[in-house]
This record gives sequence, C-alpha cells and structure tokens, in this order.
Amino acid sequence: MTEITKDAPAGQPLIRLVGIAKSYGGVHALSGVNLDLFAGEIHSLCGENGAGKSTLIKTLGGSIKPDRGEIFINGRPTAFSGVRASEAAGIGVIHQELVAFPHLDIPDNIFMGREPRRLAGLYLDRRRMLRESAALLESLGEPLELRRSVGGMSVAQQQMVGIARALSQQCRVLIMDEPTASLSERETATLFRMVRQLRQRGVAILYVSHRMDEIFALSDRISVLRNGAMVGTFARADIDQPQLIRLMVGRELAQAEAPGRRHASTGPVLAVRGLTKAGFYEDISLTVGAGEIVGMAGLIGAGRSDVAKSIFGLIKPDSGDVEFMGAPLPHGSVRQAMRRGMALAPEDRQHAGLVLPMTVEQNLSMAALKSVSPWGITRKKKERALAARMVKDLSVKTAAVTLPARSLSGGNQQKLVLGKWLARTPKLLILDEPTRGVDVGAKAEIYQLIRRLAADGMAVLMISSDLPEVLSLSDRILVMRQGRISGELPAAGATQEDVLKMAMPDAPQVDPATNIITDSPGEEIV
Amino acid sequence: MTATNGMNALHPAGNKNHGTGPAAGPGALKRLASFPWWHEVILAILLICLLTYAGSVAPMFLRPGVQIGLSDRLWNVALLALPMMMIILTGGIDLSVGSTMSLSAVVFALTFTHGAPLWLACVAAVATGLACGFLNGIFVAWVRVHPLIVTLATLAAFRGVAEGISLGRGISGFPPGFQAIAHHNILGLRPEGWLFIAAAAYTAIVLAKAPFGRYLYAIGHNEMAARYSGIPTAKMKLFLYSLSGMAAGAAALFAVARVDTARANLGYGMELKVITAVVFGGVSIFGGRGNIVGVIMGLLLIYETREFISWQWNNDNLISIIIGGLLITSVLLQVALRAGKTAQ
Repeated sequence: MTEITKDAPAGQPLIRLVGIAKSYGGVHALSGVNLDLFAGEIHSLCGENGAGKSTLIKTLGGSIKPDRGEIFINGRPTAFSGVRASEAAGIGVIHQELVAFPHLDIPDNIFMGREPRRLAGLYLDRRRMLRESAALLESLGEPLELRRSVGGMSVAQQQMVGIARALSQQCRVLIMDEPTASLSERETATLFRMVRQLRQRGVAILYVSHRMDEIFALSDRISVLRNGAMVGTFARADIDQPQLIRLMVGRELAQAEAPGRRHASTGPVLAVRGLTKAGFYEDISLTVGAGEIVGMAGLIGAGRSDVAKSIFGLIKPDSGDVEFMGAPLPHGSVRQAMRRGMALAPEDRQHAGLVLPMTVEQNLSMAALKSVSPWGITRKKKERALAARMVKDLSVKTAAVTLPARSLSGGNQQKLVLGKWLARTPKLLILDEPTRGVDVGAKAEIYQLIRRLAADGMAVLMISSDLPEVLSLSDRILVMRQGRISGELPAAGATQEDVLKMAMPDAPQVDPATNIITDSPGEEIV
Repeated sequence: MTATNGMNALHPAGNKNHGTGPAAGPGALKRLASFPWWHEVILAILLICLLTYAGSVAPMFLRPGVQIGLSDRLWNVALLALPMMMIILTGGIDLSVGSTMSLSAVVFALTFTHGAPLWLACVAAVATGLACGFLNGIFVAWVRVHPLIVTLATLAAFRGVAEGISLGRGISGFPPGFQAIAHHNILGLRPEGWLFIAAAAYTAIVLAKAPFGRYLYAIGHNEMAARYSGIPTAKMKLFLYSLSGMAAGAAALFAVARVDTARANLGYGMELKVITAVVFGGVSIFGGRGNIVGVIMGLLLIYETREFISWQWNNDNLISIIIGGLLITSVLLQVALRAGKTAQ
C-alpha cells in the first residue's frame, strides 16, 4: 500500500465549509469555521472537549443547522434539511454509540430505512440484503456471520457494520467519531487497515480522536479546533505532538506526565481481604492508605470494575471482608459505604455517573442532597452555593448551573461526576477510568486534582486502562488478570512492560499506536 | 433540553436566570418560550373556558352546593392520582389500584359482617390495600419485573380474589355513622376532599423541596445513575407501590360509605381514570417529568368536563369521546411545547 501524503491537496475539495457558525443560548459552539475535505485523505479533527468537534460533525451529518455559513459539496452550495439529505449527499457518520438496532442482524442494520424490496414494495428482499451485505463485508476484508444480532458482536465488529452501512450508501465522506475509544489493539489495527483502504478508494475521512498517536499514525492532514474556532489545518509532516497539544489547549500544559509527589501512606483507609465473587473475581486483597493513590491496571474484562463496585456496595460479593476506616463494612450497602466516607466515580458517566437531563446543579448535589436539606427541606441557596463551589473548584465550563448536564462536553461531564462525590468530602475516592474520552486539557486538570486530593490526605483507588496515566499518578500499582490480582509494583521505576507482563495471560506486547491495553472487548458492566 | 421541562417547572425561579443570560437579545419572545408553566396555564385556560360556557348554558351547574355534591366522584380519583403520579415519575405504573379498591372493600365488608367492630374493619381495609401495594412493590423493586406486567397481573388477581371471597354478592347494611363520612361536609367539603387537599399539599412540598422528591425525578430519568448515587431506589419503589395500595384501601372505604354497598366490581376502571388524569396533567409516562400543579389541573379539567356533560346531556358515550379527545389534545400540546423549547 502506498501512502499518499497530501501536503496541499490539489483540485477541488469534496466538501468545503465556509464560515460555519452555531451558538446555543449565548455560547458560541462554532464561530466562522472553515474546513476543506478532499477525496482520498484522512483528515483528523482535534480539539479539547467542548471545542466544537461534535457540533461540526453534527452539522456535516445534517442533524444541526448552522446559524451562518455555507457548505459546498463538489463546489456547489448545499443546505442540508436533515440527516437524510446529508446521507443523500454522500456523507456517512459513524458515531461513538455504534449500531442503532442491537437486536437486529447485520443486513437489517446496514439497510435500515433503505431496504431493497420486491413485489411492489410489499416484501423485503432479504436475499438481496444478505447478498449485498456479504459483498460489502467481503470488500472490507471482514467476512462476518450475517444473521447474528449485532448487539452481541464485539465493538470492532459493530464498527465494521457501521462502515459497511456507510459504504452501502455510496458515501464519499466518512466521519468517524472516536472510533477506537473501546477497541483492543488488534481491533484498532484492523480498523486502521480499513480506514486506509477506504482512503485508497477515494473516500474522504474525517477522523476525530483524542489519541495523539493515532492521529499521527493515520492522518494526512490535521485540523485543530479551539473554543469553536478553527486554529488551523496542517499537513502531518508540519506539526508534532507538543505543538498540536499546544494548539488545542492554547496554553502550555502543566507537565501532566511528570511523576507527582510520592506520598508515603500514613495509615490504611481501606483493607480488602479475600474478596470473591464466583465468575467475576477471586481472592482480592488490597489496601489503600490515606493520601495514597493506588492504581489498578489490567485488561478490560479483568474484573477491576466489578471489584470496585463490590467495595462500594453495588455488587454483593460471595465472600471476603472489606474493612473501611478501621471497621468492617457490610456487603452490598451503598448507603453504608457512602455514610462512612466512600465514593465511586463510575466509568460510564452517561449512564451511571450523571442524570443527563437534570441540571448541573442538581447533579452536583445528587449525592450530597441531605447536606443542603436541613429538616428535610432542600434549601435552594445552599444547593446553589454547593454547586457554585464545585464548579469553581473543578473549573467546570458551563454557562449556568441551571443548564442540563447533557449540554456539557465530555471532560466537563467527568468533572461533574467528580464534583458530585467531592461534595461529600469522601475519605476514599474510587475512580473508574477517570479520563476516558476526556481531552488533553481536561485530563491534565483531572490529574492535578487527583494529586491535590491525595496530598490533602484522601485515599484514592484508581482503575485505568491508560498505562502512562497509571504509571505517572499512582504510588503503587495493582495489576489484575482474569479476575485475580496478578501482581503489585511500586510505581517508581515501573515501566509499561512490567505492568503488561502481569496483565497479559500470554507474551506481552506493547502497542505503539495506542496507550490502551485491552484484550477482549467484553463489557465490564454487569 | 426538552427533558428538563419538568425539572425546571419545579424551580421556575431558577429558570429565569438563564432566560436573562447573554442570549436575552430577542428578549420577551424567548423568555415566553422558556416559560416553564405553559402546560399548566393552558390547562387552566381550558378549565376557565369550560366553566364559563357551563355557567352560561346551565347556571345551576356552578352553584357551590351542586359542585360539592358532584365532587363525590372526584375525590377518590384525586386521592389515587397522588401516589400514581409519583410512581409514574419514577417511570413505573400501577394498574391495580381499581382492583385493590374492590378487594379492600370486600375485606372491609366481610370483616364487619363477621362481627368485628367498625374501626377494625376500616383498619383491615386499609391494611389490605397496603398489602396489595406491598406485593406489587416486592415484584417491581426486588424481583424486578416490569411494573406494567406486575400490576396487570395483580389487576386481574385482586379482583378475582375479591369476587371469590364475596361470592359476587353485594354486601350492605353498615351503620349510619360510617355512611356519614361520605355524606356530611366538614367546613363545606367532604372529609375525603380535606384528606386530598392535605395529601396534595404535602406531596407538593415533598416533590419540590425534599430530597425524596428530587430522587423520584432522578430515578425516572436515569435509575442506574440514581443507584450509583446511593439513592435507595428499591426501597423507594417499594414504598410508592405500598402507598398507592394504601390509598386505594382508603378510597375504597369512602366509596363503600357513599353507596352503602361493598361489591367486587367497586373501582372498576379506576386505574384508567387515574392514569388519564395524571398524564393529562403533563406527567411524562416515561418518567422524570411532571409536577403536581399540572396533575391537579388535569384532574379538575377532566372531572368538570365529565360532570358537565352528564349534567347537561346525560350521555356517557359523549363523555368518553370528549375525554379521549382532550387526552390527545394534551399529548399534542406537550409535543408542541417541547418542539417550541428545542427550537429556541
């Protein structure tokens, strides 16, 4: 495969955006954004959460109407009246949330809404659907069992289906929104191969990702959005990683990766002994001291989240003891755990962490509502003060605390999850993937926050699949493998290879493209 | 944006803040569109129109004495609408309220006719309702069966038991003292009316101001997140369904007192009347949205419509048609209001 790098692509762009602007309330999500997409290029779109990437994608996908600006397709000005119009213009979007119909099979998903019919449109032409689906997947080099329901497939396979759907619509522009967020390295490699193959076919790919390595491995050109404005578009060769981060953030980052203070543990806050739940995890023993950050590494599906949920009381373990603040904690009682000073910020912030339709303020007070409700009556003023304090402490970007949490960007939503628990001033904070899907700027802020909390004496148990994150933040690292703790390392001097060796059942392999170590795409959520 | 409707409706003051934010440029129109009480205002306007019309064609209908006499048929629906509203706010439903009433009524009558004192029979009726609701709650909250399925089953089961133990007969002959609770007024209102007003006021405070109320909305929007926040979702559901059953037990007593007969067909179709009023009042059947002012407006509008039609034309078919029409209008109204909100 020959790599074509387009420093300044010639000819007419497939899609040209001129002066696209969109605002919500008083907030400018996009202000005068220009973007050219050429046939046969992989164009990365970078920016912090809240920079306007999603709005731009939705504009191209037809689900948002810009306030101002024009979209040219092949030089002709076009106005999308909706998603269908955008699809008709040859734009396909592969969303993070993957397939729309998990209970249906591959042909149904590929042809949903455009099913081939026979007998005057009365019947579906299943045979043709099957045939064409098979051909599409074949052409992608990924023959899949067609008649299985898509929901039961791996995330990567679901993405293949999404790509096949886009191709079946003769799409010339493919927008991929963080496609690797939950892929293993093997699957990521397959995806990359496919993306490059699409480029060869002349498809323009707009690739959105937070992972620097991927962006540099794949892109021909890179565009950077910041605060709703286009900072610039660069050929890959003309920019390097630190420069890109600087452009995204607009300021120098406090060295996020530098090893922080190594806090000596002053006393055990949490002591878990022999915790077991058949089929999930076995014989888990661990301690976390005050002011200590204990990292928990391992592959997705190793059982880390289940252990965390069991400590917090969301899952009832079969046997074992949890001792918290010097006294045994009853199994399966979130209330008890919370009352005694434990907090869990779950990995799935959209479903488990926040109530998205409720306001920022109501989410921030959700776990501490009693504290602003003397005599059982919630005091508006106290609640607002609490929310305002958390918003300020965590520098949450929101126009008002009365906006729904849904309106915030991913990084700011994550801050809400943290703020909701910090409002209780917990003694032990369990973090499950605290920076998943969070952009570099917010990431650095969250790292600083975690360090600050530990320095103030909070015990922190942090599950993370991001190895550099585990290595730089933790004082100690526990590694889980297939439901057991397979090893423990002091963070000082530990390398990614050391951790991987303990996490992997077989020979360790370090993936250069991603920092994430995953093996099976299985779900951790019970 | 759309789904916050109900939440904002609880705190209209909070909503004003963001209306006067930097986007207040086009001003009044925008503020008008984000006004959180539209649904309630429109229901109130409809109610006023109805009463004005009723007053012009049948002045007698509006007389306080007449209204209080007719209100007999409002209060038990209203009483049941309060717990039903809270259940629907959590995304659940209770279809068994009508048959719980019938079982409670039959238990009351049988306890009394078997020689128990009146007060004990009353306690037995309420306890029966509580037990019925508790059973629903166990299945919904702990066994985790969908409430529609659970209460559909108990809808049939409770009435079946009621018919079985009463052998399908009506039981009457209660002391005049008991009948008085449905036929005498205290300060111009039926005792049942006062009970409803007190319960509604308390519910309003809980929904708007107490953590319990906030938790209901949270569960309705996202039960998993509620559970992760330490909200005792199972206990709360168990409580709500029990409360609903208990209210049905109490409503049964008033209903029996009114007609002086306990029969297994008492409360037939009650669940639909109650759910109609709650949904009509703007409570989302999917949970998370709605407020008590809307429910009260919904109750009043449906009740006045029903009573006026039967007063004026005495035509039950017409009542059903008009109530059905109103319900569809209400749903369209909600859709329109939501569209208006998203469009801003």
